[in-house]
Amino acid sequence: MEKAKISAYQLFVLILLFEHGTTLLIPLAVEAKQDAWLAVLLGTVGGFILFWIYYGLYQYYPDNLPTQYVQKIIGKVLGRLLGFFFLLYFMYIAARDLRDFGEMLVTVAYPDTPLFIVNALLMLVMVYTVRKGIEVLARTGELFFIIVYLFAITGFILVIASGLLNLTNLKPVLEEGILSIIKITFTQTLYFPFGEVVAFAMILPYVNQSKKAKVAGLFAIGLSGINIAIITALNISVLGVDLVSRSPFPLLSTIQTIRVAEFLERLDVYFMLTSIICGFFKISVYCYVAVIGIADLFNIKESSRLVYPIGIVILFLSITIASNTSEHIKEGLQIIPFFVHMPLQVAVPLLLLVIAFFKNRKSR
Amino acid sequence: MNRKWMFLFLMLTGLALTSGCWGKKELTDIALVSALGIDKNEEGRYVGTIQIINPGNVAGGLQGGGGGQAPSITTYSATGDNMVEMSRRASTKISRRLYYAHTNLVVINEELAKEEGITKIFDAFDRDPEFRTTATIIIAHDTKAADILKTLTGVDKIPANKVIKTLKFTEQRWGEHMEVSIQEGIKDLVSPGKEPVITGFRVNGNAEQGKKLENVQQSALEAILQADGLAVFKDGKLVDWFQGETARGVTWILDKIQGTDININWEGEQEAIAYQVIRQKTKVSANMKNGQPKISIHVRAEGDIGEVMVPVDLTVPSVLFNIEKTLEKEIQKEINHAIQRAQKNQSDIFGFGEAVHRSNPKAWKKLKQDWNNVHFPQLKADVTVEAFVRRTGLRNKPYFSNMESNQ
Repeated sequence: MEKAKISAYQLFVLILLFEHGTTLLIPLAVEAKQDAWLAVLLGTVGGFILFWIYYGLYQYYPDNLPTQYVQKIIGKVLGRLLGFFFLLYFMYIAARDLRDFGEMLVTVAYPDTPLFIVNALLMLVMVYTVRKGIEVLARTGELFFIIVYLFAITGFILVIASGLLNLTNLKPVLEEGILSIIKITFTQTLYFPFGEVVAFAMILPYVNQSKKAKVAGLFAIGLSGINIAIITALNISVLGVDLVSRSPFPLLSTIQTIRVAEFLERLDVYFMLTSIICGFFKISVYCYVAVIGIADLFNIKESSRLVYPIGIVILFLSITIASNTSEHIKEGLQIIPFFVHMPLQVAVPLLLLVIAFFKNRKSR
Repeated sequence: MNRKWMFLFLMLTGLALTSGCWGKKELTDIALVSALGIDKNEEGRYVGTIQIINPGNVAGGLQGGGGGQAPSITTYSATGDNMVEMSRRASTKISRRLYYAHTNLVVINEELAKEEGITKIFDAFDRDPEFRTTATIIIAHDTKAADILKTLTGVDKIPANKVIKTLKFTEQRWGEHMEVSIQEGIKDLVSPGKEPVITGFRVNGNAEQGKKLENVQQSALEAILQADGLAVFKDGKLVDWFQGETARGVTWILDKIQGTDININWEGEQEAIAYQVIRQKTKVSANMKNGQPKISIHVRAEGDIGEVMVPVDLTVPSVLFNIEKTLEKEIQKEINHAIQRAQKNQSDIFGFGEAVHRSNPKAWKKLKQDWNNVHFPQLKADVTVEAFVRRTGLRNKPYFSNMESNQ
């Protein structure tokens, strides 16, 4: 374990930026049509419960990384194996997110640049930050948090000022009934983005005020849930359900339609900056937890040495996981939630918590 | 120390490599496309007309000298089976790379819109990251799209800008036309509860003369681009043109009126009082009665008296009240005309279907299938209008009211 401490506020900022990472980029819960924002809010509620599970595990073992306490809970061999799976998962999701951002940049802004170059440049910055450790990452987060919020607020004002907001697009509410919304919550929005907070189980031991960490985490999840729901509703009310479901990057399309006073238009950069900043933190956090996890599991003293090799692995993985955008998106929406997210974000932590509960009761 | 220098070196190399030289486009190597026209030739292939800005000549004209030698735009045509092929093939004629990020106008041929429909042609514009879907669409009325693009214009040197600004200001002042972007057009095409309406433009005058520079070197232009009618679509095909007050009825219902002028008859005199609308709000709602949808349209207009041609005492509130009542009937008439005509065309351009969908999603599921052909033409619309005369300008009684009493 790296000797570092972050404050509860820094944890709050990191979770918030992390949650916004890819959710700003891609359409969420499009199957729910105009009720997508409801599915996001329901997902937030699920996110609270998931965070409570991760926090519960942390409370039993406040000084240990998850890779250490799984060994205590289910034994050395099984625990190590499970820890290893988690690390693979973190690296894989980091690669997926890197691919998402690379695809966006190539599609929107750099049509002539190969994906590898774009991804490599993104990865280079992140690897540099991760090498400096969690404290640096958290401080960078504090700085960018303000910038992202400034962008978000001005962007929101611009959308309203250009008179694009057409709230009738959000009607009728609950056309398909509440059950279909719940179904979409449990197949999508619960795992992505809220279940992804599982990465922060690795970061919780670094927080210096453990009591405040719970409040900070719940606040961060709640606030980001509200933000994401607003953005989802904004996209639908500006573009309409049909266009959102056809757009790989709906927020970009929303920003592109802004036209205020004849000169404030084509503000694509707004979208690019905000989403890349949030994406930077998301991938960095995944990358960081993979690095400290591997260092811990394989008893490597200086974890910062691992950063470059792991960065390269993530970079190559991001290129090879799919041969085209459709394949990449399809995997992310249909295969990953069930076979990867669901067990690792919900089932396994819940099981661990139950076992930890009984074990600790016995010892007392 | 060595490490630091190494790092600085890496950063500088990074800076040089990442500042966008990979896909660089020099300003002198790109052709700014201001407008794109789409026609169809006898062989059934698309003919695209591309209007390119001549930057030097636009700037020269603004400074008052040197702008006379060449027109501010140049147009090229190319054929293709689709938009992308057409655009790429155009490069055989143009010395620069076509750059579509500033294309603000797409002109569509009337015949093309009637026969083949506009359903399929927008995909390239929708998909391409360079092209903006905020670009305006217009239909070339009684001419080819190419002629609209080739006509040179006065005051605003770039014809595409002239068309867009004309649309914008006529929408604000007269209200028979409206600006429709590609995005809105696609939205209406896709929606089962609304059909698109797109403004038409015609070349008023001699189209051949309009292409020559002499056209802009005289005080009365030989050819003028003029907004003319609203094209009504059904299943993606142009079915009818709405003109005049019928067209304004459409903009009333769609809540697009920003200002207009309405004349009413007064004491036997035809069109004797001119009322200028300053602001208005239209609300469309739907409800189901005995299994049949019913639409309520509520219009609220506020405005001033702009001109009177009869001696009428505008200081008396009851007179203004009567004027308001007459105005309400007039506006109601325009709206009913528009609805009747659209029902005859079996094309729900007003989005009544969407209103039904919003208020009663269950009923809409049944009605959706043959909304345009069966339900919309039988629809009962209840139009209520509230018109308010707020002010009468700098005078109350007209000057001639005293003249007549002296006699």
